[in-house]
Amino acid sequence: MSISNLKKTSLAAGAVTLTAETAGTAKEKAVDELIVKLKGTDDKARAEALLNAGEMGAPAVKSLAKLIADKDVEVMRAGKRAMWKIVRHAGRPGARDERRAVVTELNDLLGDDQTTSVRREVLWMLSEISGRRSIKVIAALLSNKELREDARMVLERIGGRQSIAALKDGLNSAPEDFKLNIAQSLRKRGEKVRGLACVKLVPTKKTNVKPLT
Amino acid sequence: MKRTNQINRREFLAHTAAGAAAVGFPYLVPSSALSARGRGGANERLTMAHIGVGGMGGYHLGDMVGRRGRGEVNIAAVCDADENRLANAVKTAGKGVQPYRDYRYILERKDIDAVVIATPDHWHGVQMVHAAECGKHVYVEKPACCTIEEGKAMVAAATENKVSVQVGSQGRSQPEAYLAHRYLVNGNIGHISRVDCFHYPSPADNNPVPDSDPPPELDWDLWLGPLRWRPYNKRYCHGVFRWLMESGGGQIRDRGAHVMSCAMWWMGADGTGPVSIEATGTAPTKGLWDSAILMEVTYTFKNPDWTLTWTQMPNDKLPKAEKRTGKEPGGRISRPGYGAIYRGDKGEFIHWGGDGGTWAEKKAREWQPPAGAKDVYKSPGHKEDWFKGIKTGAKTIMNIEAAVGVANLCVLGNLSFICGRKLNWDPVKQEIIGDEQARRMMGRPQRHPYHL
Repeated sequence: MSISNLKKTSLAAGAVTLTAETAGTAKEKAVDELIVKLKGTDDKARAEALLNAGEMGAPAVKSLAKLIADKDVEVMRAGKRAMWKIVRHAGRPGARDERRAVVTELNDLLGDDQTTSVRREVLWMLSEISGRRSIKVIAALLSNKELREDARMVLERIGGRQSIAALKDGLNSAPEDFKLNIAQSLRKRGEKVRGLACVKLVPTKKTNVKPLT
Repeated sequence: MKRTNQINRREFLAHTAAGAAAVGFPYLVPSSALSARGRGGANERLTMAHIGVGGMGGYHLGDMVGRRGRGEVNIAAVCDADENRLANAVKTAGKGVQPYRDYRYILERKDIDAVVIATPDHWHGVQMVHAAECGKHVYVEKPACCTIEEGKAMVAAATENKVSVQVGSQGRSQPEAYLAHRYLVNGNIGHISRVDCFHYPSPADNNPVPDSDPPPELDWDLWLGPLRWRPYNKRYCHGVFRWLMESGGGQIRDRGAHVMSCAMWWMGADGTGPVSIEATGTAPTKGLWDSAILMEVTYTFKNPDWTLTWTQMPNDKLPKAEKRTGKEPGGRISRPGYGAIYRGDKGEFIHWGGDGGTWAEKKAREWQPPAGAKDVYKSPGHKEDWFKGIKTGAKTIMNIEAAVGVANLCVLGNLSFICGRKLNWDPVKQEIIGDEQARRMMGRPQRHPYHL
């Protein structure tokens, strides 16, 4: 390569880097603006922000998750709505890379550092767009008393060999009071479960209301 | 009457006597037990139970009390997850009626022939399927189902257990619905290629409140049933469950199950479905409710080709209601805010309502069929049509297959709206095509043990 060509190539590479950095900065700015509008009290601005939230994609996910943990109930709801918009947008046919990026962000939000309400919501988001890449982190929640029922329902929805394997492992290690729940998911996915009869038709709840005499 | 017919009378009486002694109240003799041998005389009354007794459930119970007074039915039990509503129902139903919190106690009772289910929508599928599996005939409120998967399970359960199911889209049974249907099938507006349903908007939650503990009278776990767990919020119930996507689905699923029911019936489209669904709308931006406020959905049907639309529009855009004297078969139009316009190549026809109130345009009411004109089925009344189905095995006017077809329209409209894109649908397999996320949303995992 001649020196002049090398210079040209270096300049071009620099321009690409610069463009990527500019785009990154613009995206960060857009996420910041979204968060400000969702946290604000101007209903019109919030509505407008929600309308365009879907296209913000993966870079906005973690900032929005912080809103779901907000004490202000309307900020919490706005954060949730915006995150769902991202999940529905990323789930569209032909958007594999966007979807993968969003799933990566969501997987990170299933850790103990997040509140139960955030993790519950994230589980259900993953139930719509995730696959094998999330099975391990979701299956880990089968031993979390507050989230295990959501986790087993989400595995049921995702389906596939790895989900079923995770449910089977979960069944083996589950406490007695949760075995029936996992058995239900396995049956739903066409698996035979021995020794754990379905109890869906067994009544359990008594009323205090008395008949007229 | 498959299940109850399988028990012989001696076994049945022994079983019910033992059961009654065990729980300390009198069991009733189901009509089917004694009429199965062709001896209808001893007790021809159907023995009913009511699951969900507030709102429409309260209406159904009152209606059934009237029928009991006329010697048509027995009422054995009432059930609700809300103890206050249940206590009121006991007062309405009177002596000899057993209250339950858990509907599965009702399904265990062999003396009950049929159940009326008027719980929130997210319970319809599970309770109907369970009731069918226990051999009960079912009247279930509309919309039939909240997911595509529930609908398939409902059809399968009714078929396999040979029970009669009527879904509460009672517009089909109204006198003016018959007149409209007859008018349209006789070609009075020519070939119909488009039906535009109109409705006023779903409400926004303008009084949002934070989550709280449920009131002591409400079994929140049982109210939620198949839905995933979440803390109680006053804005979930009771009647306002309609404005939550998961439990009610907004106007499109509430009234769409009425207005589009008439459209499918009158267009001869039961058993068919669209090939694509495309929805747009405005979502709430605050409060708990999340159903579309304004909405426009286009359903494209092929072979035969026609278009159905559902529009939730501002009140000032709604078509004007016809002026009436009150002497028409349906009386005055008391709910002008919804209905549909049928567009043919020779003219148009409009109706208002589509539920318990269905009002047809004057030209259909006044049309005199010439000799040789086609006639259509005239329902004797929505419950009477169900009773006929129970006693003869005839298909009900809003049978479960037809009702699921209509509910699927509502469900798919909402799915297209929340996904923000057009959906392609295989009406034969009843599946979304080419969209993995939307396909997953055809079903919704259910909480243990409240599942299909």
